[in-house]
Amino acid sequence: MTIDDGADVPLGGLHPDRKIGDGGQGEVHTLTGLPGVLYKSYREPRQVVGGALTDLVAVRQALAAPDRAVLDTATAWPLCRVTDRGQVTGFLMYEAPASMTWTAGDGSTRLTELQYLLRPAKAAWKAVEQPAPTQRYVLAVALVELLDRLHAMGLILGDLSQANVLWTLRPAPAVFLLDCDGLRLAGRPPVLAQADTPDWQDPKAPPGQASVDGDRYKAALAVGRILCQDAYVRPGSHLDLVPGVLDDRREHAVRRLHEEADGAHGTRPHLGQWRIALAGRETIRLAAAEPAPRPQIDPAKFDGVRRRGNISLRD
Amino acid sequence: MQILPFYLVCDESGSMNGDPLNSINSALPELHKEISTNPTVADKTRFALIGFSDTATVLQPLVDLSDIDSLPALAAGGLTAYGEAFRTLLRSIETDVEALKAQGHEVYRPVVFFLSDGGPTDEGWMDAHKDLTEARYRPNIIAFGIGEADRHTIGHVANFRAFMQEDTSVSPAAALREFAASLTRSIVRSANSIAADGGGGFNLAVDDTVPGFTTVSLDKL
Repeated sequence: MTIDDGADVPLGGLHPDRKIGDGGQGEVHTLTGLPGVLYKSYREPRQVVGGALTDLVAVRQALAAPDRAVLDTATAWPLCRVTDRGQVTGFLMYEAPASMTWTAGDGSTRLTELQYLLRPAKAAWKAVEQPAPTQRYVLAVALVELLDRLHAMGLILGDLSQANVLWTLRPAPAVFLLDCDGLRLAGRPPVLAQADTPDWQDPKAPPGQASVDGDRYKAALAVGRILCQDAYVRPGSHLDLVPGVLDDRREHAVRRLHEEADGAHGTRPHLGQWRIALAGRETIRLAAAEPAPRPQIDPAKFDGVRRRGNISLRD
Repeated sequence: MQILPFYLVCDESGSMNGDPLNSINSALPELHKEISTNPTVADKTRFALIGFSDTATVLQPLVDLSDIDSLPALAAGGLTAYGEAFRTLLRSIETDVEALKAQGHEVYRPVVFFLSDGGPTDEGWMDAHKDLTEARYRPNIIAFGIGEADRHTIGHVANFRAFMQEDTSVSPAAALREFAASLTRSIVRSANSIAADGGGGFNLAVDDTVPGFTTVSLDKL
């Protein structure tokens, strides 16, 4: 079974059924005979870097079973590539948990995207249950912990947005990452060129590939926006936190990191700092060790009178 | 916030009676559902509905679709006064853009989806069209013709893209459902390229082809 061992699966052996997603890069279909598994097909298969998708599949395969289960609980990770006559056409992934969907007024099922967490509820999506402040805090922590784990695995997220993170409050607050073929291993190319989502760009990122520091900026965006229930707040602007979402110690720490995230590219707080800030731990400032004084050098020892001879260049 | 206003300007003359208008009326809840349940799109777009026949009526003034739970239905009767449609549209755009700016928004050039099943029956419609397309807030117009609409007239009305339903294998009702779906896609895809602070501009996303319609080349007209 290729979902278990990660080996490529031929497109001819799949039976794509209902189209449930249509994005810029491709489409997502359910599969007849494979409940709970989805097929993402690329619109432009020839632009796909097949080796990068192999890398991502291998990342999951290399995990011990418990860690793999954790990854599967929190992400729609590429399980195996789908190929057709040697060409990568897409990949298989697990469906998002049913707890991360909601039912619209017409009975259709929709994903509970991060966007529903970032603004006051409207009548059109009143079926999305809104979190209490303490649950909102737990959701922010869950996202930070997920991003921290991915960074620890040597992965770069690239795009983080209101549409590629799902959440739920039941049975407990949890998050789920979509579009995981957008991630890449540090030092390796992405599966496809990645575009940032508007309102989620790092304004100070140098042009080119996504970076760990860019991810850190986007983590700051996500944390600030979740805790403020504000889809557009950015580092550098005031955090108008949802009342009761943080205690005083956490609030102080979060505000400090959010300000630091407005710094130059390469200086943004890392995910571990966010974890500590949200955990409300006291931090102990450590004095940096003074560099040892350099010994005085007696130039006379090195710069004596030089006697140069001649080098004959003839035999 | 950066706002992109969309105007659906729809022919509700007598010849639109029955299936054509029923198709549009039944497609509007779908459009509303798609936009209103996607708050990122709803934040950045506004929608207005104008019906025209002998006169033109602003059936739904420009609104955030997530703020409404009903829309006035299109109802057939009368002739096809394009000029009334363009004059009413221009007045609405001028008022709406100023109102949005007064609320602190920045406003992108409005987008108009114009639909008619016949030729203009009024004098002076071309002057009204000229006033609209040369106005300070001149909109991008995507025009769709069905039934008896004239290809050259639809091509003249549009300044961005034009489509004619000429494939008789597709019923007008089916083509109009595609028209409404194309409008919905345009709103969603355009909005998804807009940043709230206006950084990077945006792409007006309009289908190159719409099932049931042929694309009218504006360059040749």
